[in-house]
Amino acid sequence: MAQDTVLKINQVAITLGGREVLSPTTLDVVRGEFVCIVGPSGCGKTTLLRAASGLLAPASGEVLRNGVRVTEPSREVAFVFQDYGRALLPWRTVEGNIALALEAEDVPDAQRQGRIADVLKKVGLLQHRQKFPAQLSGGMQQRVQIARCLAQQPQVLMMDEPFGALDALTRQSLQDELARLVLNDGLTVLFVTHDLEEAIYLGDRVVALQANPGPGRPSLARMLDVRIPRPRTQLATREHPEFLRLRRELFAFIEQGHD
Amino acid sequence: MIDHVGTRLMITLRPWWFPAVTLGLFEWYARTAGKSSDAIAPPSAALAGFVSAVSDGSLLSATAFTLGSAALGLLLACVLGIGAGIALGLSPRAARLSFLSIEVFRPIPSVALIPLSMLMFGFGLRMEFSIVAFACFWPMLLLSQAAVLQVEPRLLEVSQVLGLRPLQRARKIILPAITPRLFVALRLGVAVALVVAVTVEIAANPNGMGYAMIIAQQSLNPGLMLAWLMWISIVGFAINFGALKLERAVARRMGQSA
Repeated sequence: MAQDTVLKINQVAITLGGREVLSPTTLDVVRGEFVCIVGPSGCGKTTLLRAASGLLAPASGEVLRNGVRVTEPSREVAFVFQDYGRALLPWRTVEGNIALALEAEDVPDAQRQGRIADVLKKVGLLQHRQKFPAQLSGGMQQRVQIARCLAQQPQVLMMDEPFGALDALTRQSLQDELARLVLNDGLTVLFVTHDLEEAIYLGDRVVALQANPGPGRPSLARMLDVRIPRPRTQLATREHPEFLRLRRELFAFIEQGHD
Repeated sequence: MIDHVGTRLMITLRPWWFPAVTLGLFEWYARTAGKSSDAIAPPSAALAGFVSAVSDGSLLSATAFTLGSAALGLLLACVLGIGAGIALGLSPRAARLSFLSIEVFRPIPSVALIPLSMLMFGFGLRMEFSIVAFACFWPMLLLSQAAVLQVEPRLLEVSQVLGLRPLQRARKIILPAITPRLFVALRLGVAVALVVAVTVEIAANPNGMGYAMIIAQQSLNPGLMLAWLMWISIVGFAINFGALKLERAVARRMGQSA
């Protein structure tokens, strides 16, 4: 069991501008696991994700990936940003944006087209490959970003509120697509959201952080296992007794503000 | 139907009636009250001067010289200014170290370099385009530096998580991201280059459109002088218009509208 730990977040604390944003937090993520991080704004969930990916250096503690200390971003870890509009290159087409990931890896030209077509098929954008981001809807732009991350063939997928800026229907269909992709590819996912139901619907485990825990108290306040069978569906899963129980527990905790 | 065509014609002609009336009045004034003056010529005399400059080939050769030295100077300024601007934009340390030097040299009026440039290069193309290059270098430098500083920070993070090497990041992210702003700088540079080139010719260099105009004035030929003035303004309008079109086309192509 121990060797299956892909990501080990060990007593990681982060200060930004002299203020402690995240008090020492420990979290292990197992291979193939889908972990959702929730919490009110300002609780440090995005900060934790950035530290886990190597975009941000922790003030203390360490992040280990496959037993090796993380000091900078790696191609093994893909990162989906919330603001897809800014994370795509506006001067490149859909396939050009995905090609960027392959260019960074120096993938030979002969293999590029195949790999691009492969990930575009997975996110259902094959017929839009020649379009520019500005010609696509928000949901499609976010699909392009996800496709670019898949083209990296990462071990871990980090997602920072990826569906937060989308309308409700688009969000639900992207949730289902993501769950299917992750299940098929055996990806390990760390997923930050402020939407509690989204976290329960997608996650194998939900981690709840609290804002301003106070001196000596941990940021990490709750750790819940989601024992709802997959594949999940929007209607049935959201009425599952376990879903309702977890939802009640998380809502009670968030409303309370802290323990 | 006739009415409709008439209205369309009126609308097309509307911007032209004020210049036309002004020209007519000037023609009338120059032929009556200013008839004995050596300083005033009617537009018809300017037109005659223009025709003579076209037919003796001086229009073409002088225009080619002025535009050629303006273009050469601008090209040199672009290469050096954009290169240095990107370097200063990428390295805060280089920007801090060079700040004083830039602020000392930048305010020197470019025409104040005419004596120095004349000593170094004599009359001709080199002295003129070196002054144009000096004048255009500073806006290109500062605007390209600012452009690098304004690259979307999220794109730099994307290049980090994708694992782009520094050279790849410069070529695939930063350079395309600043291209629309570089073309804004180029448009400003085009205007500066023409102004400085003509100024140098009026003040010192015996070549080009500026010199032709000052010679016409000194040989008491106000008709020809006005012809040159009109031609310089037409050339200036044309290249500024072209540069603006180019800037907009690049902005559209590089997704600035997104």
